Amino acid sequence: MAQAKKTMTLNLTDAEMTALEELSIKKDLSKTQVVRQALKLYQLIELRIDKGEKLYFEDDKKSKAEVMML
Amino acid sequence: MSVEKSRIFLLHTESGAETEGELWDKITDQQLHDWESQWVPALAFGVQRLQKARTHNSKWPPSSTWDWREKIAAVRDATFSHSSFCVMCDGQTQGLIILDSSGRPERRCRIENQRSKDLLYVELVEVAPWNRKEFHQTPRYRGVGGLLIAAAIQKSQEEGFKGRLGLHSLPLANSFYANKCGMHDLGGDSDNDGLRYFEMTPGQASAFLAKGNKS
Repeated sequence: MAQAKKTMTLNLTDAEMTALEELSIKKDLSKTQVVRQALKLYQLIELRIDKGEKLYFEDDKKSKAEVMML
Repeated sequence: MSVEKSRIFLLHTESGAETEGELWDKITDQQLHDWESQWVPALAFGVQRLQKARTHNSKWPPSSTWDWREKIAAVRDATFSHSSFCVMCDGQTQGLIILDSSGRPERRCRIENQRSKDLLYVELVEVAPWNRKEFHQTPRYRGVGGLLIAAAIQKSQEEGFKGRLGLHSLPLANSFYANKCGMHDLGGDSDNDGLRYFEMTPGQASAFLAKGNKS
């Protein structure tokens, strides 16, 4: 039931490629899958922010920091 | 909206015969119509019977209050992080499931050896009232829940999550996830109304698929 996919070339700097490779190992995902997951999360956050909601990080002490999206 | 359908088989309990059905890779208006016109009255009737039989309300299915139309509307417009499947047989909707692959922090792996890896989270799953043993001593079809979990595992594999699944279970379904699905039971989750959290590893996923839709 896999959906058809399109291929694109992604140009990354060395540092970006290193970050992608590290995430790929940490998350046990292929590099393509890391990019797809990042896109899902980015889209989800954008939709919520477009609705007027805010994005926060909360630490163990329950203090919150708002994340500014560009 | 294009829907991909694959052939499946369900056990018709009364006759013992395998009956051909379909797994659809989307919940469409047809399923929502079935839910409204068939599931809702059947659920109301079933709960009424439990009440008359003075069955303790801990044995009532809380999903009698779920609104699938609302739930599908909430995820349909949202993002491509959500997917859904349904089981069709005899021209009727036999089971529904909604999945989330967004990898939101609260929906990542919790088992120590796969902690914080992405998984496919089962947001909602339900089988038709006539297939549920809390309402009927002899449910019409068996295997609907197992087929929906198998579809979720395959989707997880497609997403690159290697079959990893997570879900919060309603009390009546705890034994299904622990015993039939072989998932890890990580206990009650205070952030989710105390519902027990279950998680499946790639090994458990492969074992479930290898076993097929059998008890």
